[in-house]
Amino acid sequence: MRLWTYAKVPGDEVSVEQLLAAAGCVSLVLLTSITVLPVWITLTVAALMGLRLLLASRGRAAPAPVLRFVIATLAIGLLFLKFHTFNGLIPGTALLSLIAGLKLLETRGQRDLHVITMIVYFLSLATLLEGESFWLLIYLIAVCWLSTATLLRLADTDSMAARWQRRLRYAGKLLAQALPLALAFWLFFPRLDSPLWHLPDDGGGATIGLSDTMSPGDITDLAQSDEVAFRARFLGATPPADQLYWRGPVLQDFDGHTWSGAGADAELPITPKPAPRLLLSGTAYRYTVSLEPSAHRWLFALDWPAEWDTSKASQGEDYMLLAPNAPMQPIDLTATSYVHMRADGPLAPGLRRRDTTMPGGRNPRTRELAAQLHAEHPDTPGYVQAVLDLFRRESFYYTLTPPRLGQDSVDGFLFDSRRGFCGHFASAFATLMRAAGIPARVVTGYQGGTFNRFAGYWILRQSDAHAWDEVWLEGQGWMRVDPTASIPANRVEHGLNDIVSLGVPVTSRWQQRTHWLPDLRLELDALKQFWRQRILEFDQHSQERLLEWLHVPEPDGQKLALFLAGCLITGMLWLTWVVRRELDVKPSGKVERAYAMLCGRLGKAGLTRRPHEGAEDYAARVAASRPDLTLEVADLCRCYTALRYSLAPQSAQAKSAERAFIAAVRRFRPRAP
Amino acid sequence: MNAAGAPFRLRQAAIARLTRWSLRRHGEDALPLKVDRRRIYIIPTRFGASLGVLLMAMLLAGLNYNSNLGLAFGFLMVSLVLVAMHHCNRNLLGLCVDASTEADCFAGSAAAFEFRLRNDAAVARFGIEIRCADRGARAPAVAELSIAAGATEAAVVEVPMERRGIHRLPRFELRTRHPFGWFRAWTYVQVPLTAYVAPRPGGVRVLPPAGGETGTLAQSQAPGDDEFSSLQAYQVGMPLKHMAWKTLARGGEPAVRSYSAPSASPEWLDWFALERLDEEARLSQLCGWVLGAEAAHRAYGLRLPGVVLAPARGAAHRLQCLRALAMHGFLPPP
Repeated sequence: MRLWTYAKVPGDEVSVEQLLAAAGCVSLVLLTSITVLPVWITLTVAALMGLRLLLASRGRAAPAPVLRFVIATLAIGLLFLKFHTFNGLIPGTALLSLIAGLKLLETRGQRDLHVITMIVYFLSLATLLEGESFWLLIYLIAVCWLSTATLLRLADTDSMAARWQRRLRYAGKLLAQALPLALAFWLFFPRLDSPLWHLPDDGGGATIGLSDTMSPGDITDLAQSDEVAFRARFLGATPPADQLYWRGPVLQDFDGHTWSGAGADAELPITPKPAPRLLLSGTAYRYTVSLEPSAHRWLFALDWPAEWDTSKASQGEDYMLLAPNAPMQPIDLTATSYVHMRADGPLAPGLRRRDTTMPGGRNPRTRELAAQLHAEHPDTPGYVQAVLDLFRRESFYYTLTPPRLGQDSVDGFLFDSRRGFCGHFASAFATLMRAAGIPARVVTGYQGGTFNRFAGYWILRQSDAHAWDEVWLEGQGWMRVDPTASIPANRVEHGLNDIVSLGVPVTSRWQQRTHWLPDLRLELDALKQFWRQRILEFDQHSQERLLEWLHVPEPDGQKLALFLAGCLITGMLWLTWVVRRELDVKPSGKVERAYAMLCGRLGKAGLTRRPHEGAEDYAARVAASRPDLTLEVADLCRCYTALRYSLAPQSAQAKSAERAFIAAVRRFRPRAP
Repeated sequence: MNAAGAPFRLRQAAIARLTRWSLRRHGEDALPLKVDRRRIYIIPTRFGASLGVLLMAMLLAGLNYNSNLGLAFGFLMVSLVLVAMHHCNRNLLGLCVDASTEADCFAGSAAAFEFRLRNDAAVARFGIEIRCADRGARAPAVAELSIAAGATEAAVVEVPMERRGIHRLPRFELRTRHPFGWFRAWTYVQVPLTAYVAPRPGGVRVLPPAGGETGTLAQSQAPGDDEFSSLQAYQVGMPLKHMAWKTLARGGEPAVRSYSAPSASPEWLDWFALERLDEEARLSQLCGWVLGAEAAHRAYGLRLPGVVLAPARGAAHRLQCLRALAMHGFLPPP
């Protein structure tokens, strides 16, 4: 408690409470980046702060300059050894944190406090540059509020609590007054369409659940994750629920245990080989996919994509869409897809070879089964149907907790365990097809999803990740087959949660019985999506649309700048008015306001009331200079005096007199002389 | 201080220009004065300018990262700065200023000017600095005060005065850096403040004896020596005719009688009696005598080249004498 009793650090201008607040603000900001900063940085800053506060509480000044210099050199040298640069968000944040700590150590006067305040502002911004959360923004604004309030030097006579209350209230009022102007700036300040300088890559970024290899059993964790993968909004017609297959990485290479794609996505060329042409037919479905940041280049489009924004995506050999780079920011992609298609020509020999390859000597029992079934059903559609019938007829179970399988995973699944999820079924099906010489491959992606009826879009979570097959039918092209769908509980139309009878339930029972809970989740998700699309992704196009909405013809950058200038001028005038209005002493009651109005009107007629003048004296002066107003003004002033001083307030008589007085003042309009 | 940077000099030059311009613009003011918006000037402080640069950098980073949250934060800070600018300006707006425009002091001490600030507004004013600078002074004298809503506060600014004479401060300044120290708003009040700086009291010579041995004006030797009021310890140089012989005869300490009536043997403190000293030393000696005579409750007259102050006593007379000493060799204020 001794800390509080010291009003000032000896020889310093900064009070201990200001020092404490500054240290608090730095700590609060650092809290947000504690996970990205090296631990020793955080510890060093904390130690520096602790040392300073300890010294201050003992009433001692900052340590000697030599010591401070040694600490500073050591810390910054270590930082450089660690990062080899101060450029970039994380090294920059680390450097600024260290400087804040060192500055706290040597805080002497207001000037040091100023430097710390500015560091708090900049660290807040650095955190927000990569942040996306609404709460993060609110939190950092609150920290800067505290930091700014620390700068206020009000009268020092109050108790500390009262002083801080006044500081915070004052700074809060100023922040509130700043909001409208900030909103105008934010809405109309022209955005850049490309960065001014290259952004250093910090290698962060979230990872999306799918991977470019699949060993059945690997998706177990994914299926239980509620994390949002992407959202999709259909602009116009929505395809039937059983056609909602969102295409992701296609896996063709199988070693008997693991399926893998054409190569890790980092190795994929920027402009991939074009896919064979498709003849598309039926309804065109237009939609926007909003993807979360990802470590992969995959974009998820509905089967089969026909048109898309070519600046944001290109199509690979297997019809999946690829972004030029792994998206660091949330991105929106608008595309058009058709659910019906036919191949334009036969399968290229190279692709046929690739999609019929079987690892030699693996899964012998599966090969046997394939040979037997193919002999019974020599035509491809018949064979496909026979395999699906096998899955339906035999006791295959869908479960999220399948047993571990050996190297011959397909044999193990088909003949021993018979328990698995989409990956198992897709893998077994494709193997059976290839064993019969039919080109087949595994496609991964997302299927189904939850429709948010509050906001009209589909949410695809990691639990909606799915794997299915594509089989080449001669003369027709690739046909989608979803073997998981042939198990009795219909997974395709309802999603994972409804097939609880087959295995372990995904969500607990009570959650399913409580109807409002999913509704609440959907509403929250709608809010999140609004935040993402309207706030985080606000850009030039949004500004164009905003101007259109404001009926500005042919919106362009120049008009935006004009709008900004207009808002700025209006904002400044508004501020002038708001800030100066507080100076005016407002009459407290109705009667006083009416009297002020009377004086104002007489003032306009050239008879301003002097500050010291009472009502009677004023009336006498008016009578002397404007005989025509004598009667009226004398009456009103007498009435005012009576209301103020002689009539009992709240009495019936006073109330009627009050009404009469106010009405009379309203009617009173003196002519100018 | 690394204050000598180019931006700093630029800012100083800008302030100097602005000052000259405002002087031409306003002319003389009369007290009491209400600060209106046309006379308030505002400029960012060094902290404010640094913050401005920082905010520019922040906005640039926000634009470059295409981070709408970063931009929102940056714009909020920019707007906060603009709001603070208005509050800084308002802190002076409508303030009523009154001041005592004359002050007396001795060389080497400080002239205390008293200021009264009335706040008629419904909000309090914080951190108002009153600054007065003597010509050639290195730093202005400052008093800082806060005024509650509807209150009047007084403050005394003590301007150090090194040299004797009339010091005319052509104006004083009200300045504030409220609320956050990002801006400094100020106004000049073009009312001259006059400090009458009497010489530093000094000199080793004792008070001249009453009766005007060195004087030539016979009428100053008015009768009334017997209006005896009290005894004082004798010191070398005191007039022997006031010696309390009876006390001495009774074996007491040597003492002199002092007289209450101004007419009672007034003393002339005479410039011309101090021929061998230089001008400032003479004035210093005269000042010492004035104080000594006043302390001894004796009537005294002051004779300076061109100025004769008839013998009298009391605070008003003392002030008159000190001002005469201060003004010696200076033109009287208009």
